[in-house]
Amino acid sequence: MSKVLEPPTGSLRPAAPLELRARSNVLNRSKILGYVLRYAGIILVLMFFVLPFLWMVLSSFKNQIDITTGKNIFKFTPTTQNYENVFNQYNYLLYTWNSLLVAVLATFLSLLLGLPAAYAIARFKVGWLGVVLLTARIVPGITFLIPWFIIFSRLNLVGTYPALILSHMLIGLPFIAWIMISFFEGLPVDLEEAAQIDGATQFGAFLRIALPLSVPGIITASIMAFIFSWNNFMFSLLLADDQTRTLPVAIFNFLSYSSVDWGGLMAAAVVITLPVLLISLVVQRYIVAGLTSGATKG
Amino acid sequence: MRRNFENSFRRLGLIVVLVLLAALAVACGDTQVASNTAPAASTLPTVASSTGNTTLASGGNATTSSSSGTGVTTVAGASGTGAATSADLTAGVSKNFAGKEIRLITANHPWATGMAKLIPQFEQASGMKVKAESYFEDQLSQKLQIGLTSGSSGADVFMYRPLQEGRLFVKNGWLNDLSGQAQKATDWNWADFQDSARNTVTVDNKAYGVPLVTEREIVYYRKDLFQQAGLQPPASMDDLLAAAKKLTDPSKQQFGIVMRGQRSPAVTQFSSFLYSYGGNWEKDGKSAISSPEALSAYKTYGDLLRNYGPQGTLNMSWPQAVAIFQQGKAAMWIDADSLYTNVLDPSKSTIVDKVGYAQFPAGPGGSKPYNVTSWGIGMNQASANKDADWEFIRWATSAPVVMALQQGGLPGARSSVWNSPDGLKGFPVEYARVAQSSAKVGVGADRPAVINVGQARDIVGAPLEVSIQGGDVSAAVTEADKKFSSFLVSDK
Amino acid sequence: MAIAKGAGILRPRFRLSEWLSRHMKIVFVLPSLIFVLAMMVFPLGYTLWLSLNEWNGSSIAAPKAVGLDNFTTLFTNDTRFGDSVVRTFGFSAVAVTIEVIFGLLIALLLQGKFWGQNLIKTLLLLPMVATPVAMGMAWLLIFEPNIGLLNSLLPDLGLKPQPWLGSPQQALWCLAAVDIWQWTPMMALIIMAGLAILPEEPFEAARVDGANPLQRFFYLTLPLLMPTLIVATLLRSIDALKTFDIIYTMTKGGPQYASETINTYSYTQAFEYFALGKASSILLIFFAIVLGVSLFFIQIRKRWGVQA
Repeated sequence: MSKVLEPPTGSLRPAAPLELRARSNVLNRSKILGYVLRYAGIILVLMFFVLPFLWMVLSSFKNQIDITTGKNIFKFTPTTQNYENVFNQYNYLLYTWNSLLVAVLATFLSLLLGLPAAYAIARFKVGWLGVVLLTARIVPGITFLIPWFIIFSRLNLVGTYPALILSHMLIGLPFIAWIMISFFEGLPVDLEEAAQIDGATQFGAFLRIALPLSVPGIITASIMAFIFSWNNFMFSLLLADDQTRTLPVAIFNFLSYSSVDWGGLMAAAVVITLPVLLISLVVQRYIVAGLTSGATKG
Repeated sequence: MRRNFENSFRRLGLIVVLVLLAALAVACGDTQVASNTAPAASTLPTVASSTGNTTLASGGNATTSSSSGTGVTTVAGASGTGAATSADLTAGVSKNFAGKEIRLITANHPWATGMAKLIPQFEQASGMKVKAESYFEDQLSQKLQIGLTSGSSGADVFMYRPLQEGRLFVKNGWLNDLSGQAQKATDWNWADFQDSARNTVTVDNKAYGVPLVTEREIVYYRKDLFQQAGLQPPASMDDLLAAAKKLTDPSKQQFGIVMRGQRSPAVTQFSSFLYSYGGNWEKDGKSAISSPEALSAYKTYGDLLRNYGPQGTLNMSWPQAVAIFQQGKAAMWIDADSLYTNVLDPSKSTIVDKVGYAQFPAGPGGSKPYNVTSWGIGMNQASANKDADWEFIRWATSAPVVMALQQGGLPGARSSVWNSPDGLKGFPVEYARVAQSSAKVGVGADRPAVINVGQARDIVGAPLEVSIQGGDVSAAVTEADKKFSSFLVSDK
Repeated sequence: MAIAKGAGILRPRFRLSEWLSRHMKIVFVLPSLIFVLAMMVFPLGYTLWLSLNEWNGSSIAAPKAVGLDNFTTLFTNDTRFGDSVVRTFGFSAVAVTIEVIFGLLIALLLQGKFWGQNLIKTLLLLPMVATPVAMGMAWLLIFEPNIGLLNSLLPDLGLKPQPWLGSPQQALWCLAAVDIWQWTPMMALIIMAGLAILPEEPFEAARVDGANPLQRFFYLTLPLLMPTLIVATLLRSIDALKTFDIIYTMTKGGPQYASETINTYSYTQAFEYFALGKASSILLIFFAIVLGVSLFFIQIRKRWGVQA
């Protein structure tokens, strides 16, 4: 586990993979050919995965007529009108704030519940709780919507931030538990025991030994929980109201009572994806760790 | 090394936690702000304007019409909304309910956009507060139903689609019977609403809502292309097919016609074909969609789109269809007349000054477009202050307000407004003529009149998809007929 | 150092810390437990109860108990349900299989160190972190038959424009393509992480024995990687079965129900037809299916563990 989370070293020196590792330093023809083929393959792969983003960004700078007349894929006069519309007319500032607030708080509260729970599962062997939490990852989300609506309307919470945050926590909590259980299990117990012998309480050992040591895992888990919450569509679709609407629902509303405004739609899509893309650029290694955790461990 | 790494992470973690705590504090305060102090008057225009740029009824129309030299004449009345003085609009509004708050839920619809600008006047005259929210059409329906299901009285007054949700809402006891109030308010004049409109919101002789928006199916056509080809606007189904054929040239990306092809959305636009071929959804409470008339209608609809329509119509509702028409790629577009502002929006449409309007062509059964009330306003049965709700509904549907909205380009339901020259000022001349003549011959429903409309639309729309693809329409119709028959039995 | 500093902060609350320690298990478990009970167990129970009833949300007519009728209808008299089950499995199987194969190929391609590796890994992350609804919209514009990117490029390649999402034959596979676009990178990254922790010795030995790269791949890499692959497939299958966002935003299950999966079908039943009882029974079956698939993979994983 910890091996996965170790940040990759930044060496740029090309070290050939096992299959290609050369026995001598002499650059022969087939080796060059191998490099060329490899980079060609890499570029091809990247093209496939990055192209939709390029198309999205490109279209967001076109006006409706440039988009709909087809042929002018690269030849057009760029306009920022779509972005202005998105923020001025479509009220995206509010929706961005809603998304941010809900995602941040849902993540934070999930951590507050999830870290102790994961610790208890790892240290006190409360296995059944782990099973229950992981079940939440399996149950189809729609299952919850009707009952939630009934609970929330009894509590007069429909359309409020707390309702959204609570629902998003159901995505964040299992994920945080999923990552942190294996992380806590990977921590050596000796350190905590040593601290207890030195007079710290068990809770103190958790707070001052286990948690600080798990910060990389916590960061990974938080980032993932944040992204999942930011991207969540289904829960917000039914639980948010006019004032608490989050971005994914807001962009879906673009296909609404008017002809499809493709430029605006793409600008909105850029606005929604930009924050997560920036986050992933900055903390790439943690996301890789988060997404791959659990799969590479025994 | 490792310890340094951990220490810095610890500090980072601490900072993150502090920031989060601060955010939590802010959020708690923020919830307060959002629910208490956000005044409807200031939040509404921004929210409702999400459709603003496409509708001439919106705030954006001043720039829209002045920037398009050709559009101006047709939409001269668009500023009428502002022209009417507040005294005209709020005459008769009482102060009896001052201090009460009404929660109004609307669709993302031009009516809501227009209303948003008038509500402050109402609030001033009545001393009430109107807290408005708007949702995208399908979401509105889901929101209302879930809200009403869970018994919350969240919404006091809401927009609903009488033909889509009306019967279900009535059956489930969600809509308040307004007959009493409607009869009593003599100067408000219930009888002034068109017969067909009143029928739409009436179930078992009780009025459960007040009609807001009416619409008819018409043919939008390209005057320039028709002229070049020496064609007249289609008066019969044969004309329609011939014109579509003549104006189709796939090599130039030019198509004769575009219409909705998505199963459920297409059903309403198919209805006029069905009626004009002499068919109907039901006959004596039994499915009638396998009649020879209905079969021809299904075939024609599919033939038009398959042979003379653009690619991918099966995934088109009206926003996609109108986009094709706006691009000038289709010579005709058949859809609801209330959508006409879309083709006149120069920021999206390349054909603003080339659009003609024609009445729905006559089939073997004559020209029988639908003429329906697409939106009505209703009151929640569980609302706490029904008298205040009614005060709002009465004002929002009073003759001066309907006049103001209709002058902004929104076809209403009041006969007095349609009969007055002022009431037509907001429309292009040709459009107004077609809308009126369509209303005279129109049929009062554009979908099966059942409780579970969503399911019914999926059933009767299935043969349309087969027809558009050129499949075995008769077989599909037989199958749909069987399903529709058993649906009608269970839908009680 | 860390200990001393932390103790200083917490000294005034020493008693609280002691109390917490004494009841640590309860204190740590209880909040999550309450949350899970309220937000998950209650809803599941309610859904179970609702699945035995017929109700459309009416405030006049209470839910009507109908026993197992909802389930019998689904299995005997509802082709849409059966079709959606088949489609869900078809969609998931195709998408996940291709994702595993492509993921493996890409992982092998990117394995080891080379110039620009970090950048490329980062770029690969983008599809899976980007908001699915937003990307659905972007793909909608790519697939759009009249103005989309694909159809404006196809004639240049001498191919005929296709209706894509507008065709019942193609829609589901277009959606699968989007899913593949979205999740192949995750497969690749998981597999890369798996490759990175493979033991070196067997490979050294194989090289000494003169095994060629292909042999090494099939007899060493693949078997050693199997546990990783199985877990990755498990995780991805659960999510693929539950795919909702891109289907709902791009086709809503159309045309002709051609892309309707169990998830979107239950959504339609619940929030468009308001057949809450029937929707609940679909959801329970769906839950059972996902659970079954998970258990199946866990079983394989166990068996593989024993063999290897």
